[in-house]
Amino acid sequence: MSADPGFWILQTLNALQLSMLLFLLSVGLTVIFGLMHFVNLAHGALYALGAYVAATFAGVAGYWAGFIAAPIAVAALGVLLYWGLIRRMRKSGPMSQVLVTFGLIFALLDLTRIVWGDIAIGIETPALLSGRVSLLGVDYPTYRLFVIVLGGVIFAALAVILSRTQIGAMIRAGVDNDDMAACLGINVEKMFFAVFCVGCALAGLAGAVAAPLLSVTPGMGLEILIPTLIVIVIGGLGSLQGAIAGSLIFGFVQTFGAVLAPQLSSVLIYALLALVLVTRPAGLFPAKGA
Amino acid sequence: MFRHNPLRYGTLALLFAGAVYAAFAAGYFGLEILIEILVLAMLVLAIDMVAGFGGMVSLCHGALLGVGAYAYSMLAVKAGVAAPVAMVSAIGITGALAWIIGAVCARTHGIYFIMATLAFGQMAYSYIFETPVFGGDDGLGGIPRLDLSAVGLDTMDSRTFALFALAALVLCYLFAVAVLRSGLGRSLVGVMQSEQRMRALGLVTWRVKADVFGLSGLIAGLAGAISAQHILYISPGLLNWTVSGEALVVVILGGLGTLVGPLVGAAAFVLLKHQVSEVTPYWHLVTGLILIAVVMSRANGIYGFIEDRFAGRLTAKARKSPDAAVPAKEAQNA
Repeated sequence: MSADPGFWILQTLNALQLSMLLFLLSVGLTVIFGLMHFVNLAHGALYALGAYVAATFAGVAGYWAGFIAAPIAVAALGVLLYWGLIRRMRKSGPMSQVLVTFGLIFALLDLTRIVWGDIAIGIETPALLSGRVSLLGVDYPTYRLFVIVLGGVIFAALAVILSRTQIGAMIRAGVDNDDMAACLGINVEKMFFAVFCVGCALAGLAGAVAAPLLSVTPGMGLEILIPTLIVIVIGGLGSLQGAIAGSLIFGFVQTFGAVLAPQLSSVLIYALLALVLVTRPAGLFPAKGA
Repeated sequence: MFRHNPLRYGTLALLFAGAVYAAFAAGYFGLEILIEILVLAMLVLAIDMVAGFGGMVSLCHGALLGVGAYAYSMLAVKAGVAAPVAMVSAIGITGALAWIIGAVCARTHGIYFIMATLAFGQMAYSYIFETPVFGGDDGLGGIPRLDLSAVGLDTMDSRTFALFALAALVLCYLFAVAVLRSGLGRSLVGVMQSEQRMRALGLVTWRVKADVFGLSGLIAGLAGAISAQHILYISPGLLNWTVSGEALVVVILGGLGTLVGPLVGAAAFVLLKHQVSEVTPYWHLVTGLILIAVVMSRANGIYGFIEDRFAGRLTAKARKSPDAAVPAKEAQNA
């Protein structure tokens, strides 16, 4: 099987698709950490919530309504969380933040169960993307290609914003040294709030994108949390390059590990994480300030 | 350094009396809950040792408990080793593994340490889950309990087994106190407060961390061997990171770095879990909200809160030495 180039192309596409999904999630988490030094474990729960909102809206008004509603709804929840919890936890140590957001995971998990029930919800891929596309001699579902392209576009957009615009420069300054940035007249708190909301919206978007691929269950947030954390720790907390590199490493190791060495595949990624942490304790591409 | 104070002695006596009373008064289901509390109490002691006194917040102790359980079961069931030998070997194996994990992770700090321990824990979980010898997803059954008929005890009886588990917990507690009071334990607190300074004093800091991590692994291994004997069946779910996460929550809710607090937390947590799940299936929501409330109140857990109040009243006139206070949990983890 391994001699067939189609097989390699197919697996590469699968790996890319997984990577991009993880990228959408991890980029929000990593930038929130880089800018605010805030560890938000509830990011996975926000993603699950996005998937549920998308599924609900998709049932009423079609997939694209859910695709748009999910990031908005999750960002709105992010605003509430920010004012209610996160702003007060800003100055406490990482330990308390981990615990508060751990409590939040529990609470949100059961809230989704109360509202949407325990049964997995399936959602249809939109008609526009439901077919298959022939690419380099391989038939590949259009929707999965769409996920890859979407991840690429968002990476490019974020990369341009962060490196070429004034807001990006302000964010980078904030990540580097928030006290100094504040002295230079940047409203770090406000910027922080905005970045948090964008991070939440991206988590909601990831949920909406993942909904047709995986079934929507209350536990999906907890399932994705560990891979997301692995991605940002391998990549290095707080940097965009880290998030994309970590996502790609995770996606490829996971996908090719599962095909080439099924017995080892799940151990492999953890072994890789341990190796990275031991040799480069701050990840591969740590943000300068973090 | 760890110190007892009147409140701690009082709480310990109360807990012990409560456990003994429960062991004699409770029915079958009550005894099951009691043993569950005792096993969790051993696990949280192990975590508090490293997290509360070394700043090493570990997410792999659940997996270490699982390793202890699997090591005991594999030796007793598959290799046919006598139960006492299997138990001692299981404790030794877990301790050795914990020492290695501690040594490897000692370089990392804060959130990276948490992630590194998580990685090792999940590695053990995946390995056991996917290796056929360990029974995979089906787990292992037919695990024997320690045979104490030589001294006239029948461990197959739930009451006797509960008392046996209680004795093990008392042993673990005394062991943890002895370690924390020794030179090693004192050095560990020093490393937590300023690793650089301790290194400058000539201490090999990674060794201190690894040694205490290994010693706490011994407790986790014993908890695992007892947990396997309790249920008489084990599955890989025992090693999953959520077990560690839950135990860590218990440590925090109880009071990090107080040893006594986590014991109170373990009892409260298991009882609350059973109470709430009788009323509503959504006990996670209740636990989550309590957790958020406790952390946001900035108290050091339930017990820490009581202790602060109590100590505050006692020392209103004469100020006690500051190191008798609970070590602040925030600064060292940064």
